[in-house]
Amino acid sequence: MADINFYYLEEATLSNLKRIFKSSDFPFVRLSKFLDIDSVKYSPKLMNEENIGYFKRQQGSAILEDFWKSKEFTNFLKGVTGLNSTFSSSKHLSYSAGDYSLLHTDESEPDRLAVVYDFTKNWRLEWGGYDLYTSPGKEPLICNRDYGSLMIVKLEKGDLSCTRYVSLKSKEEAVIDFVTYVLD
Amino acid sequence: MRNAEKIPELYKTPFPHVIVKDFLDEQTLDLVTYALAGLEYDFDESDLFSYLSFGLTDVDHPVINILRDDLGDEFWRKKVAEKFGVKELSKIDLSAYVYGLGSFLLPHDDQVEGRIIAYSLHLTDIEMTEKMGGALDIYEADESGKSSLVKSIVPEYNSLIMFEVSDKSWHQVSEILADIQRLTVTGWYHG
Repeated sequence: MADINFYYLEEATLSNLKRIFKSSDFPFVRLSKFLDIDSVKYSPKLMNEENIGYFKRQQGSAILEDFWKSKEFTNFLKGVTGLNSTFSSSKHLSYSAGDYSLLHTDESEPDRLAVVYDFTKNWRLEWGGYDLYTSPGKEPLICNRDYGSLMIVKLEKGDLSCTRYVSLKSKEEAVIDFVTYVLD
Repeated sequence: MRNAEKIPELYKTPFPHVIVKDFLDEQTLDLVTYALAGLEYDFDESDLFSYLSFGLTDVDHPVINILRDDLGDEFWRKKVAEKFGVKELSKIDLSAYVYGLGSFLLPHDDQVEGRIIAYSLHLTDIEMTEKMGGALDIYEADESGKSSLVKSIVPEYNSLIMFEVSDKSWHQVSEILADIQRLTVTGWYHG
C-alpha cells in the first residue's frame, strides 16, 4: 500500500491544512506529492462509459481502493477537515482526447467529501481535462491536473462538478481515483 | 437577398436535416460577412462549449435586418415548416458565432421549449476540410446514452444547415484544430 508523505502527518502541517480547508466557498485542500506512489504498480482494467450529453470516459476500480478505505487515510481525512465521514464509493476514471463530463449534481447525494488523487502524467494545461466545482453564489474552484496530488473538497447538495473536455490534441489521458465520503 | 428559394429533400436519419447550398446571393453574402467581421464578439465558455458569440436577434443594422428577413421571412418560414412537416413557425432568433483554434461545442440535443427547427448559416470564407475540425457532427444515441457518429458535415461557404429539434437531435461542433475562424449565424425557428 502507498504511504502518506510524512510531511502531511506532522501536527503543525495538519493544523495549517485544517485552517486552509475552511477558508474558501468550496472548503478544499490540495496536497502535492501526497503519496509515495512510485513503488505502486498499476494497470487498471477500464471500460468505456458514455451517456451522451453527460459524460464520455473510461471507468474501472480505484487503483488505491484499499488505501481509500483504510484507517490510515480516513483518520488523515478527519485530521485535515475536522469532519467525521464514512467511505461511500471509489472509482478510477480516465479521460482521453475528446472525453468529458458536464456539470452535474445528484440531489440524492448528501453533503460529502470528494477526494481526487491524480495519476495524470506529462499533462499540458491547454489540453483541458481539469476538474471544476461550482454552485450558485460560490466562487468556482478549478483544479488542474497535477501528477501525484490529492484534492479534498467538501460538496453540499446542489454543488456541481465536471471534468473539462479533453482536447483532441491531447497525447495523454487525464487519470484519477475519485473517492466519495459521506459526512456523518 | 436570398438566392435559394427551394429546399432539397430531407435526410431522414438519424433525425430530419437538410443542407441548402448557395443560400444568399453574392452581394448580400459579401455585405453580411463584412458586417459580421466588424462586431465585437464576447468570449463564451462553459463545460459544454468554448467560442465567441454575438447576439443578433434584436440588432437593428441594415445588413443584419436583410439577413434576418432572408432567414426568417414569412415565405421562407412557410417553406421550412412545409419541408419538415411541422406546424407554423412564428419567428426566428439568431446569433453569430466564431470558432477559433480550440473552440468546441459538445454533444447536445438543442431541446428548449419553443425551438422547432435549428439552423446554421455557414460563412467561413475558406474551403474547410475535416482535418481542420469544426464539422457539424450528427449522432445517433440509444436509450442508455451510448452514441455513434453517423455523419460529419464539413461547413461549406454559404450553406444553410437545418434540422428538426427533438430528443434525437444529438449533435456537436468538433474542436477546431487549425488556425482558422469558423463563422456562422445560428439560431432556431420557433413554434
